[in-house]
Amino acid sequence: MKKVTVDPITRLEGHGKIEIFVNDAGEVANVYFQIPELRGFERFCVGRPVEELARITPRICGVCPEAHHMAASKAIDAVYGVTPAPTGVKLRELLYNTFFVTDHATHFYVLAGPDFVVGPTADPAERNILGVIHKVGLETGGAVIKARAEAAELISIIGGKQIHPVCGLPGGVSKALSAEERDRAVEITASHVEFAKFSLQLFDDIVLGNNDYVDLIKSDAFTHSTYYMGLVDDNNHVNFYDGKVRVTGPDGAELLKFEGKDYLEHLAEHVEPYSYLVYPYLKAVGWKGFVDGKDSGVYRASPLSRLNAADGMATPLAQAEYERYFSTLGGKPVHATLATHWARLVEMLYAAERAHELATDPDIINPDVRTLPTGIVGEGVGVVEAPRGTLYHHYKTDDQGMVTNVNLIVGTTNNNASISMSLKKAAEGLIKGGTEIGEGTLNMIEMAFRAYDPCFGCATHALPGEMPLEVTVKKERTQEVVTTVRRYL
Amino acid sequence: MGNPILSDDGVGLYVAERLRATTLPDGVDVRQSEVAGLRLLELLRGYDKVVIVDALQSGREAGEVVRYEARDFTGGHRYSSAHSIGLETALELGRTLGYDMPSDVTVFAVEAVDVETFAEELSPPVAEAAERVIALVRAEVGAA
Repeated sequence: MKKVTVDPITRLEGHGKIEIFVNDAGEVANVYFQIPELRGFERFCVGRPVEELARITPRICGVCPEAHHMAASKAIDAVYGVTPAPTGVKLRELLYNTFFVTDHATHFYVLAGPDFVVGPTADPAERNILGVIHKVGLETGGAVIKARAEAAELISIIGGKQIHPVCGLPGGVSKALSAEERDRAVEITASHVEFAKFSLQLFDDIVLGNNDYVDLIKSDAFTHSTYYMGLVDDNNHVNFYDGKVRVTGPDGAELLKFEGKDYLEHLAEHVEPYSYLVYPYLKAVGWKGFVDGKDSGVYRASPLSRLNAADGMATPLAQAEYERYFSTLGGKPVHATLATHWARLVEMLYAAERAHELATDPDIINPDVRTLPTGIVGEGVGVVEAPRGTLYHHYKTDDQGMVTNVNLIVGTTNNNASISMSLKKAAEGLIKGGTEIGEGTLNMIEMAFRAYDPCFGCATHALPGEMPLEVTVKKERTQEVVTTVRRYL
Repeated sequence: MGNPILSDDGVGLYVAERLRATTLPDGVDVRQSEVAGLRLLELLRGYDKVVIVDALQSGREAGEVVRYEARDFTGGHRYSSAHSIGLETALELGRTLGYDMPSDVTVFAVEAVDVETFAEELSPPVAEAAERVIALVRAEVGAA
């Protein structure tokens, strides 16, 4: 087969690029997936005081800055060898779970919703949040906006700023919660629990009640048997803020459970000549290529993965939904990529319940929110679950706390290999000899990609703000372009 | 709008910072935002007129300043993105839900050289363009 060299010029255009190669019979031979990489982050951080990274790293991404803020705060605690004050931890966790509620809601209603609620092959002009509201009604639309606005308010109260929180300090947070603020937090989190329940009901009615959608979710084109990664607490329940990293296999058995700081012992990176992406894989299993199965070190990190990697949810309503999810989909683990959208809603319910638990904890207004560091270790790893996958921040400093080295594995990076595999499988399933490759087909292929809610935010900044994507179908033998679909280009 | 640590992507934020230091008519607020998408909706509510400054990559000459009216974005491109929604969709969404959205939205976009390298400085053509944009925005909001 002809070797493909990706023109580096695409890197400068700042958009995602999917190339599908078809053979002479019109069947998919291979699929390549490209996203431009951001350059120089490590260079940019070197020489800065490490505690500033909690305010700098959130700017990697305009959608999940809270995740970076938390991972950074934890890594910085470790750099200083300080155990954060318990109330400080609770406040961080309250903010963080509230962020999960709003982020997951946004993804479901704005990004995934259009596929499921309006329909994957519907007219593109309808296949967006406006189309969703058209279908579900203004009241629902208003409920989504309200949930987001209230989440932003609570994040602002604890985090200090609406968009990029600044509360994390070495050893805790910068500000305690007043009784009044706590009362507001109780109100908002209770409202979020109702909203999460409502969203799950909506999913039930609109998606699970539609046989075509259920068939799509269960279809082989959108299924991969990989390993699954997620943070779990001591009871092996999903936790977004803290815990150990657990990896379970395609058969459901536990492969690994490790402390975040030991990630380099368990994860390695594979590189391909045609891409700037790195493909992390499990050292214990090894890199066997872009393939599924027990013998391949490819793993996934996402809501789907987290539910597979855990034994349950730590809150009652979410636990009930967790059980219903698995019994409906035929047991653990669930390999259907599109089920991620359902898993996301189960997580949203847990996040809301957990946030409410924290808000109603009397200790949450304790003024003692920070333990001052008294020394320095000079190296630290902070691991959290970002909405899109396990997030690792690893910092090294000199003895003054000035950064000498930074390594990050962002949520989506964990999924680079699986995204490529999902795209290829979806393309193979949908493009056969003689298929008319239209916009609808290509949107369905993009659905495979969209389920991962890939976060390449900053590299794709385009006016007016969407992520530009180019999907090109080419003849493998001649490289001749069969068709191209562009979004926002 | 923009990102303060991605080179030219910070031009909007820089212009806002400079504008804040000038005298502006009553009723004019200067805000900085590092995010787009749905969060824009919340920022724009309640204003009659909004002027947005941001970086652009469209193959134009570096430092070129383009002016858009919000209506220039309409028509066709309302796909669901992998990660966010755009300005026009945010505006329309707000209107659909009955929120008080601005009727007059103008965007000044500066053609960037680099929005992918982590740095806090603007490239020379963009820094130069920023000066022009400051004057354009002041004129747009009726400042002397």
